[in-house]
Order: sequence, then structure tokens, then C-alpha cells
Amino acid sequence: MNFTRRTLLATAGAALATRPLGALAAGKLPRNVRLVIGSKSTGGDTYQNSAIVADALAKELDINIKVDAVGATQAFKALERDSRGTTMMIFHDQSYLGWLYGRTGYVDPFKTYAIGPTVAINPGNAYLVAKNSPYKTMGDVFKAAADGKRIRVAIQPGGVSEIGFSAMKNAAKVMHPGSEKNLVAVNTGSQSDKNQALWDDLADVINGSIQANEQFTQLDASDKKAMRFIWITARQKTLEQAPEKGMGKTTRDDLLKYASPETSVTLDGKKDFTFDKEFFFMFNKKMDPAIIETVNQGLAAVFKKGEIQKRQKAAFFIPNYLPTDQALAHLKDKADTYAKVIKDIRS
Amino acid sequence: MDLLSFVTPLFLTLIVSGTVIGIVFGSIPGLTATMAVAVCLPLTYSLGLNNGLGLLLGLYVGGISGGLVPAILLGIPGTPSSITTTFDGYPMAKRGEGERALRIGIVSSVVGGLISLAVLVLFAPLLADFAIDFSYVEKFLIILFALTVMAALSKDMLLGIFSGVLGIFISLIGTYDVSNGGNGKERLIPPGTEYWLQDGFSLLPVLIGLFGLAAILEEAELGVPKGQSMKDIKVGAHSRFSFSVFGGQIVNLVRSSLIGTFVGILPGVGGSAASILSYTNAKTFSRHPERFGKGEPAGIIASESGNNGLTGGALVPLLSLGIPGDSTTALLIGAFTLQGVQVGPLFISGNTETWNAMIVAMLIANVAMFVVMYLAIRWLALAVTIPKHILFPIILMMCVIGAYTINYGIMFDVWTLLIFGIGGWLMGKVGLEVAPFIIGFILGPSAEVYFVKTLESFGTLTIFFTKSWIAVVLWLLIAGSVATSVWMSRRHRRLDEG
Repeated sequence: MNFTRRTLLATAGAALATRPLGALAAGKLPRNVRLVIGSKSTGGDTYQNSAIVADALAKELDINIKVDAVGATQAFKALERDSRGTTMMIFHDQSYLGWLYGRTGYVDPFKTYAIGPTVAINPGNAYLVAKNSPYKTMGDVFKAAADGKRIRVAIQPGGVSEIGFSAMKNAAKVMHPGSEKNLVAVNTGSQSDKNQALWDDLADVINGSIQANEQFTQLDASDKKAMRFIWITARQKTLEQAPEKGMGKTTRDDLLKYASPETSVTLDGKKDFTFDKEFFFMFNKKMDPAIIETVNQGLAAVFKKGEIQKRQKAAFFIPNYLPTDQALAHLKDKADTYAKVIKDIRS
Repeated sequence: MDLLSFVTPLFLTLIVSGTVIGIVFGSIPGLTATMAVAVCLPLTYSLGLNNGLGLLLGLYVGGISGGLVPAILLGIPGTPSSITTTFDGYPMAKRGEGERALRIGIVSSVVGGLISLAVLVLFAPLLADFAIDFSYVEKFLIILFALTVMAALSKDMLLGIFSGVLGIFISLIGTYDVSNGGNGKERLIPPGTEYWLQDGFSLLPVLIGLFGLAAILEEAELGVPKGQSMKDIKVGAHSRFSFSVFGGQIVNLVRSSLIGTFVGILPGVGGSAASILSYTNAKTFSRHPERFGKGEPAGIIASESGNNGLTGGALVPLLSLGIPGDSTTALLIGAFTLQGVQVGPLFISGNTETWNAMIVAMLIANVAMFVVMYLAIRWLALAVTIPKHILFPIILMMCVIGAYTINYGIMFDVWTLLIFGIGGWLMGKVGLEVAPFIIGFILGPSAEVYFVKTLESFGTLTIFFTKSWIAVVLWLLIAGSVATSVWMSRRHRRLDEG
């Protein structure tokens, strides 16, 4: 076969015509994008969710996206260094909670970075007790604290794991001023450490998740490892989007019993405190807004097709696409609420 | 047979391919089993759970096993868990017994892997219950026991202990990580270096710097010996391998495999501790502890059966508690979650087919690892015959690539490699010892976390002695290890004086 100029032009034209529509809009996007995430684990929820989003977005925009699990500190550094659009970041509420709690390596993300679209929620943040614990509900916990009993809560300080504990202290302060001092944090690391703290009787309540702890709630009370959910921090409307069969043997209706409004942890005596762990994009502040818009449009197209939602739900994520403007307003609103909770319990 | 309906040609191919790729990753200094699993994790979504797990478990077994090749032939541990293999493997290779050392390592690896698999199959839920009896106190004592090997490995006990403590000190530079239970504060960081040292020094660049680059610098100092040809280098002609080497080592082999398995069962203790503990035990209970570190086959047997013993052990807490036993099995949780499968105390009873698939995959991966590595030994061993002016630049390039990729592209890791390469070379000049230093560096962060957490939780030092019968047994082992080291040191001194 002879390759004439006409043949080559026709081939190139055909190739261009068969490219995904999004690729045409991706003119300003680099071919290869590094998506750094705020976690070092490639087995955790941040990586899984980012991998699902990166895969779909890469196909839509016809580019290569590689997810790098470098951890929060390195991810923020990588983002600050690169304004060309070759480095983007996906992280969750930890990005501003770390700053609110004064964690080393965290700065105000709303001032330092350009906040991008939200993509999903992990609704699993939960608090548990041993199955044979005298505390069966959050009401029992607050009553015990009001009665002067010391309740030890195992958390990882400075972020997502602590915000629920801060909310507990805040609720105790609102309901029975002074009782909040009886809720004390036990500083632990990983989920394994928190579970171990419960089994070693070093904690009365632990922070956990629906995904990691549900099977322990199915064990018989005579088993040392058996646990009981007492609070799921997610919003009711978030949990209602979870699969009906729920997780393991705990149905969605069962899960809803541990969340607001059935389980109440008050914010101010009128409204309940809720917390959804939401994943969202972050960009270098000096990045070309056209690139952010391309990502925005790409994600909008991905979510419009509906395939990504199935993958996210299969991995127990709640799809939650919000374009940049709405995402920024929503996340700032959340951050302001949590900043007030943290300030109130410190005062 | 319905029971094995998942065993398809694709399933078998994926396990064997995974094992081969894992061996290649393990054999290249700087690339690890964890990295191999991380790279292939996204593929498992399209492969389905059983096939995906077959691939990942092959990578895991192959990756852990492949580390012995550079450890023996080049003195560079391919993975952190093969660190103790270098202590005796490399001296054997230097005296022309590389092939024999490789065969000892491979046989020990497969035995360790199979024993740990048997333990996994027979006792997984039972052992998980036992593992949760190990609190911060017992975990600290296990790390302390592993640290006692520092003294035993040293030519000069005082300098060895100093080197080890220096390793612990340097390992603590950076942030006291909250994800490990720390307070998130920075410590020991020299002013002006906070930007780079916020996360401290990464283990793998330190390891390949000290063992790889430092060795190359030492060789470079000697220059290229004139008249040396490939024919002068003996690969193994005058020391044939025979299974009789295991004759007096059955106890060592089984004990080390079980130690590796047990360390794997304890979440958070870390894979490197498995081979270090096995090695410490082998030396403590040996009739000839003085031979360790000089090319003693028992050292390779302990190290390799210990680190492969980890593979089955680390799956116990993963499949019985939903808690990974080491960094590689932590990635397997991702494979389960991607497929919408929950891991936890009800996993085995609720997912019989997946459980069976994992056991069969582990069995096939161990057999494949043995066959592939055993057949490839002659070619692998030829690595030592490559002229050094060709071999060393290749090793250096692999070290740099490994250091850069280990944390997904952080340039400071390459500088770390260079700093510790030069540091390791200088350490040799001033008499400091690299082996105890690196053991201190590996175990230091765990020792700190468990020590501090014990005091935070119990508020008294006496708890280390009174917590449980397990603590008492561990203290006896620590005392035995220290006593052996002191006895050996005195014996050396007497021999030197005599």
C-alpha cells in the first residue's frame, strides 16, 4: 500500500473524527496528568475513589492520568510547584480540617489552592462501642458524661477522625455545660490501633467506619471483638443514596438508625451535627482557569453518562458531582461550621 | 470439581506471571513486592476477584522471594525484608559460593512460604484471636528483642550498639506521624531543612544507599584490578549445593518460618522485623553463633524462611480481622473493596470460594517461585561474573530509579540515596557498622511508637514486666539474646588475646 499525502490526511481526519467529543475541548490540557492524592495508601478510600474518577476522566478527555499516592504533605508541595496543569490533586475534608486543627503541613486550602469539583462521598464515618458496653446509644454516652463518668474516645487527632469527637464534646457542652470535660480523646493511629484500644479496654468509644467495622457488629456479644455502632456521622440524605442492602448484614435502614435524626448529636440545640467525607479536586492557584473548566466539563460529561456512579456505588461511595462554584461554596460552608465547633469547644 | 471451579487456565497463568514479575521486582534494588502489587492493583478490577487475587498473590510471593538474589550476589537487599540475607549470603558469594547460597535461600523461601500457608489454612481465626492479645507492651518487647540483634551482629559490641542507636536516632527525624499514633509535631529536624525532612528519610533509599552506593564507592576506591577476567571468578564450581546443608537446620528452618508467620500475624510490627527476629533467634540458639555474618548457611535459612513465612502470616489478620499484617497486604484490601467485598471476622465463612482461591493461589505461587528461581539460578549467579565497570553503573542506575519511584516520584529520595551512600562509605572509614545502623533505622520508629503508647496508656514503666505472661516470655528471649552476645564478645576477646 502506498502512503500518499491524501491517504495520510484522510487517516488523520478520520482519527480526529472518531476521538471522544471531550478531547476537542481538552485543547489546553496536557496529555499526561499526574493526580496526586492526600494519602500514602493505595488500599484506602482516597486512592480507590481517585482511581475510579481518574479512569473515567482520562477516557472522557482522551488523556493519561496517573494517580500517585504521595500523602498530604508531598501532594500539597507538588501542587504548589506546578501551575502548568500537569499536577492536580484529589483529597477530602481532611485538607481543611488539618488546617483548622493546626496540623503540621496544612495551610488554608481555600486561600492557597483553587478548589475544584466534588466527586463523591464516603458515608462510612462512624463511632462504635464494645457490644457488651454499658453505653448502647449516644444518649447513654452523653448521660454518663453528665453524671461525671469519664468516657474515653479513640481517634486519630487532627482531622476527619477528630471532628466527630469535637462534635460530641460540643453537644455535651450544649446539653449539659461542663460535662464535655468528661469526654477525653485517646490518641491512636490507624483503624487497627483504634480497634485494639477497644479490645484492650483502653477506650470506651472508637472512631471507625461502616466498611471496616460492620462485620465486628455481627459477632456475638460473648466475642471479645464484637462491636456496636452508636453513631454514623453522615447526613440522612447521603445515607439514603447508599445501596438498599447496605453493607454486609446491616441494611440501609439499619444504618439510618445510627444517623441524624434518629441518633442526635446536636450542633446548637436546634440542628444536628452531621459530617460527610467528601472527595474533591484541588488545583494550583495560578493554573489556567481554562484547564479547570475543561476538567469541570469533562467530569460533568462523565457523571451525565452515569457509568461512574455504578462503579462508585459498588465500592460504597455516594456519587456527588458538584461543579467548581457550587463545590467551593458548599465546602466553605462546611468548613465554617466545623471551625465554629472547634472554636466553641476550645473556648 | 465445583470446589476448584475457579482454577482456570487464566487463573493459573496470572499466578505464574505474577510470580515471575514479582521476582523481577524483588530482584531489582529499590523495587519491592509492595510496588509490584500497587502497579498491578488497577488491573484487578477488570480481571474479577479470584483472578485478580491470583495475580496479586503471585506478585506478593515473587516479590518477597526475589529480594534474596541481589542480597546474596551483590550484597544489596532487594527488599527491606531481605536485609539479613545479605549478612551471610554475600560473604558466601564473595568466596565463590553464590550459587549454593542462592539454592539454600530458595529452598528456605519455599519451605517458609508453605509452612506459613499451612498455618493460615489451619489456624487463621484462632491466631487472629491470639494476635489481639498483643497490645503496645508486647509489640514493643518484640521490637526490643529484634533490636538485640544489633549487638550480636557487631564486630565491636560497643561500636555496634552505638551505630544501632545512631540508626534509631536518624529514623526519628521528621514528623511524629499522627497516622502512627503520634502527635503530629516535627522533631530533630535541622533548621532550614524542614521542607525536605518533614517526612524524615524514607527507608528504601537509605537501605540501597548504605548497601548499594556505599559498596560501589568502596570498590571504586580500589580501582579496576588489572588482569582480572571473568574466568577468574568462581560462581559455584567448588561448592556444590546439597540438601544435606539442611540436615542440622530443620529446627532453624521450622522455627524461622513460624517466627515469620507470627510476625506477619501482628499488625504494624512490619515485614523487616520477621527476618531480623528469625536471624536473631537462629544466632542465639546456634552452637556456632560466631560463624554468623561470615557466610553461615544457617543465617540465610533463618532470614529467607522468616521473610517468606510472613506471606501467609500477614494474610491472617487481613482475612480474620480486616486488618492488614504488612504494607503489601494493605494493598489487597483495595482489591477487595474495588470488587465490593468486605474483609473482616466473617470473611472466611462468607466467602468460601474466594478463600479457597487465595489458598490455591498462594500454593501455586510458592511452587512457581521455587521452580522459576531454581531453574534460573545458573543464569542469575552469572551476575557476579559481569565486569564491575559494566555492572556497577547498571546497579547505580537501578538504585536511582528505585529511590525515585518508591514514593511515586520524590526527588529528595534520590538525594537521600546519595547522602546515605556517602555516609555508609564514611561510616566504614571511622569504624561504625552499617548492619546495626540499618536495623536501628528500620525498627526505631516502631519502638518509639509502642514505647510512648504504652506509657500514654498505662502510665507506668512496670507494665512492661507485669502486663502478661507473653511479656515475661519475651523478656526471657531478650535476656537470652543479650547473654549470647556478651558471651560471644568475651570469647572473641579471649581468642584475640590468646
